[in-house]
Amino acid sequence: MPEPPAVSADDLIRQLDDADPEARRVAALGLEGVAGAVEPLLDRVGAEEQPAVRDAMLTTLAGHDTDRVAAGLAVHLASEDAGLRTAAAEALAAMPVSVPALVPRLLEDPDHDVRMLCARVLADLPHPEALTWLAVMIKDDPHPNVVASAIDALLPSLGPEHAELLQRAVRRFPDDPFLRFTVEAALR
Amino acid sequence: MTETQPKVLVVDDAATVRAYHSTLLTEAGFRVVQAANGLEAVETALTTPFDLFVVDVNMPKMNGYTFVETLRSDTVGTPAPVVMISTEDRPGDADRAYAAGANLYLVKPVPPERLVRIARLLTADRVAAR
Amino acid sequence: MTSAATGTGLAKAEFEKIREYFYRRTGIQFADSKRYFVDKRIEHCVRAAGFDTFAAWFGALRTGDRPGLLPELISQLTVNETYFLREDYQFDALLNSVLPRVLAARGGPDRIAGPVKILSLPCASGEEPYSIALRLLEEWPHIDTVDVEIHGADIDGEVLERARHASYGERSLQRVPAPWLARHFSPVGAGRYQIDDGIREALTLRQVNVCDTAAMRSFRDFDVVFCRNVLIYFDDLSSRRAAENLYGAMRPGAYLFLGHSESMSRISPIFTPTRLPEGIVYQRPTGAKR
Repeated sequence: MPEPPAVSADDLIRQLDDADPEARRVAALGLEGVAGAVEPLLDRVGAEEQPAVRDAMLTTLAGHDTDRVAAGLAVHLASEDAGLRTAAAEALAAMPVSVPALVPRLLEDPDHDVRMLCARVLADLPHPEALTWLAVMIKDDPHPNVVASAIDALLPSLGPEHAELLQRAVRRFPDDPFLRFTVEAALR
Repeated sequence: MTETQPKVLVVDDAATVRAYHSTLLTEAGFRVVQAANGLEAVETALTTPFDLFVVDVNMPKMNGYTFVETLRSDTVGTPAPVVMISTEDRPGDADRAYAAGANLYLVKPVPPERLVRIARLLTADRVAAR
Repeated sequence: MTSAATGTGLAKAEFEKIREYFYRRTGIQFADSKRYFVDKRIEHCVRAAGFDTFAAWFGALRTGDRPGLLPELISQLTVNETYFLREDYQFDALLNSVLPRVLAARGGPDRIAGPVKILSLPCASGEEPYSIALRLLEEWPHIDTVDVEIHGADIDGEVLERARHASYGERSLQRVPAPWLARHFSPVGAGRYQIDDGIREALTLRQVNVCDTAAMRSFRDFDVVFCRNVLIYFDDLSSRRAAENLYGAMRPGAYLFLGHSESMSRISPIFTPTRLPEGIVYQRPTGAKR
């Protein structure tokens, strides 16, 4: 098979603005590991309308597990676009080096949807502190849906030591039948 | 279990929500199958016909809106009723759900008896037609 | 209280946890009836990794402290053997459903321009691409008129050498019908058979890492890709990148087969699941928007 000609990183960055979505997708994927591509990719990922192109951008961005990328993606957790905010959450869940520094701020975000997505990130983040943060959310978060998401995320790692935490959550939201059902099932 | 029981696909990435909705609907006489995201739900719906879909919005790989659009497109092509249940009540979300092809958009928490009543209502025609 | 390390099985709650974790991670769900099987395999994983309790092992698995734990778990909970005509229903799908659609989409068997290209990745020691070749030679009505290229690729140079040599033992050949064996293989001693030169030389073999985007750029315009039982072993980002590289290697509308217990639903939404009579396959969408 003939090898296609090598393309420079600068060419690929220019190609991110190509009118053809397949050209943009190939460019985004080809920029793996190119530090200079982080800013151009972060600039474009929020506006990219083709899901396949956006996914390629996020795959490459998540490969740069740096504070800059994590902060640049966390912004999209508040996006109006459901596809973008869940895709951003998935990418963040694959960034165990840089996401932990962001978590304290995400736990305090005034938007409860952002805090719920944070629980989903923590569910998949391979990091020893993830369980601690989830416990904090269950204990302190004022919104029942956030507490429910955190319980869901904690569930696979649940131990007897969490019983009191869960029972207290049910007492905080006595009118939420889902929370009651979930905690009863978990403690059974 | 009989073939006359309406069949529901519960789609949610949260295992706890799947368990809750499945328990409510099973106790109310529905046959329930679960999927953990929109894409798995598409794969399931391609091989099994359902009378009702109960669908979350925020899910990895494929969110609820895209799932419902896919359900209504040639990829699956089913007219079966869809209830979307979201944790969010942002302006425009309900419109987005209806534009995708959902029959009903609800915001959590949904009282259990209301979910069951809605499920019965939306599947009554399909059960009677059998 | 039961302990996985003492060989007394998992507690119900432990079984539920590992079942949910595995489902979340891979899309594979074990029924209650598989409890004994799962228990035994998990006990093996816990002991082999040197843990005393399920809880300690599961904690390390969950936090990613020991990267080797997950591949070992997947390997224990899935069956992974290589032999000729394995998961044969997918080759049925290739012949009966996929190739007719590929030909139709490319102008029909008489007007198709260029070869039909099939990729087996990973091809390991060659059983899969040669199985495809055998089924086409024996059963596909257009084999004499339509040009078909079969390519095999693997990350492991050593298995590629074996694929190139193409001599196989009884165990690997157990499902090959005797007339096919007589027509396409020659005995080479010690109960081994080598596939004929014509078939060996027609197979293009290359070493490649499916996660390497630059290397994968030279794979283009495939009509059908078999990528079975490998993506499941990759971590989240690697499996995404591999799926995206495969997408780039395929024509719009081309077909992708995964292993029978694998699902794209845990990897990437860029492909469209399509129902065939033989089961689900994935297609690269024809338009840009999915």
